[in-house]
Amino acid sequence: MMNPKRVWVVAERDVRSLLRQKSMLAMRVAWFAAQVAFFGLIANYMFREDVLAAMGGSYLEYYVAGMVVTMLYSTAIFIGYDVYEEADHGVVEYLLSLPVSRRELVVGRSIGSGVRSLLHVGPMIVIALYLTGTPSALQLSTSLFCLFLFAFGASGLSITVAAALKSSDRFDILMGVVDALAVRLSTALYPVAFMPSYYGGLASINPITFAADLFRWGAGLESALLTPPLLAVVGIVAFSSTFTFLGVALYERRLEGGGWR
Amino acid sequence: MRALLAVVERDFRYFLRYRWWIAGMVSMNLADLFIMALVYARMTNPDVVVDYFVFFAPGLTVTAAFAAAFMIGREVNMELRREVTHYMLSLPIERWKLAAGRVISGGIRGVAYVAPLLATTLAITNAYTGRLPTPPELLTVLAVLSSLCLGTSGLSIALALSTKSFEKYVTARSVVYYALFFCSTVFYPLSLVERVFPPLAIPARLNPVSCGADLSRALLLGWAEPTPFMLVDVLLYALVFGLLAASSYARTTRK
Repeated sequence: MMNPKRVWVVAERDVRSLLRQKSMLAMRVAWFAAQVAFFGLIANYMFREDVLAAMGGSYLEYYVAGMVVTMLYSTAIFIGYDVYEEADHGVVEYLLSLPVSRRELVVGRSIGSGVRSLLHVGPMIVIALYLTGTPSALQLSTSLFCLFLFAFGASGLSITVAAALKSSDRFDILMGVVDALAVRLSTALYPVAFMPSYYGGLASINPITFAADLFRWGAGLESALLTPPLLAVVGIVAFSSTFTFLGVALYERRLEGGGWR
Repeated sequence: MRALLAVVERDFRYFLRYRWWIAGMVSMNLADLFIMALVYARMTNPDVVVDYFVFFAPGLTVTAAFAAAFMIGREVNMELRREVTHYMLSLPIERWKLAAGRVISGGIRGVAYVAPLLATTLAITNAYTGRLPTPPELLTVLAVLSSLCLGTSGLSIALALSTKSFEKYVTARSVVYYALFFCSTVFYPLSLVERVFPPLAIPARLNPVSCGADLSRALLLGWAEPTPFMLVDVLLYALVFGLLAASSYARTTRK
């Protein structure tokens, strides 16, 4: 039986580590601001009128919401790097000596990573909402909760891959390739309607698509090209539960008998 | 000369050891070209950019060269933090040769990385426009890319030597990356920047990344006339940052 208090203690440790990453946070905010201020604004005038109309009237608003989800994904998968670093620096032995069960430790890590990622992109969400506006508190809170589930699932994915691969180099390259393909084969940057059919099929079932379209819906962007919210919620719940379960099961197994070394 | 070549060879061999990083970069560049640019091509107003896929290909070559050449800075910063510089100084090589070797090797790495990408770009521009650059045009593109890589190598080394903190270096590197990429004509033409964001037009015009991208477009696509300013801008960039890096490196190793 898991003790929620102990799970939270583990999660809190990961959340607190966010405060130590001030430079990283500053860099990401700068990256986000530069992307939005330069690329988003200028590209807004690069597209055809019918394309802009189909996206709800403004590419800038469409793009800024997609960028938030891209950043959330990139931040959430960082937990995998932590897994390797802790193994390298002998922190795993310390964690295992704590009066928490293996399962509490692993679930706490996943929750902590999800919360940390959402807090990390908090300033970007504020910038995005400033640009798009906030039409309905209920819609917005639903989409933010789903973003948390998405971050939770992405952390699970990262832990799953980290637990399955022994080499941090292989993990780094695999996550880099997955990141490059998953973001570009999603609606983070453009709607499915404008993709060639061979890309559109993959983009329609991509969790980043579900999260980006759900955040756009939450921010009140009206577009016929968005994934229906209910379908997006189901997609995110399925992604999140699958990878959380896999991540917990694999990481827990890896922790037994010094499998992390 | 042999000592300088030894430094260059060492750095180049190190580069080949980063096969994971190279594979990641290649996949990211190919995804940018064959997914992102292809989709944007279906959305772009032809009055602004005739064919975004063809427009973007030479720009991507330039950004890839920039990123590959920038990598040397990460190593120099690591050597500074772990005091590997002491070992470097113990070698029977004059300081200026050591400094020059590091800058040149950074540039060579960029050119080596970008060569297959340039061949891909050539294939794309030829398939879409039916145009093949003449040997002098191709040599000019190579010279521009080499100068850009040399300047970028210098810029990254100068930046790496300015701090011992890896976090600060990574932050500064990101700021430089984003500023130079997004304030450039890699993703959009200068005419659009001038119309939409006038304060950005002058930095975008002077940006060596813009000059490299526009000169490559002019010579590979024939969409515009190359201007001597573009060539001078990139050469000046290489000269200024090459010298700055070499002098910073020599100064740091004297401390």
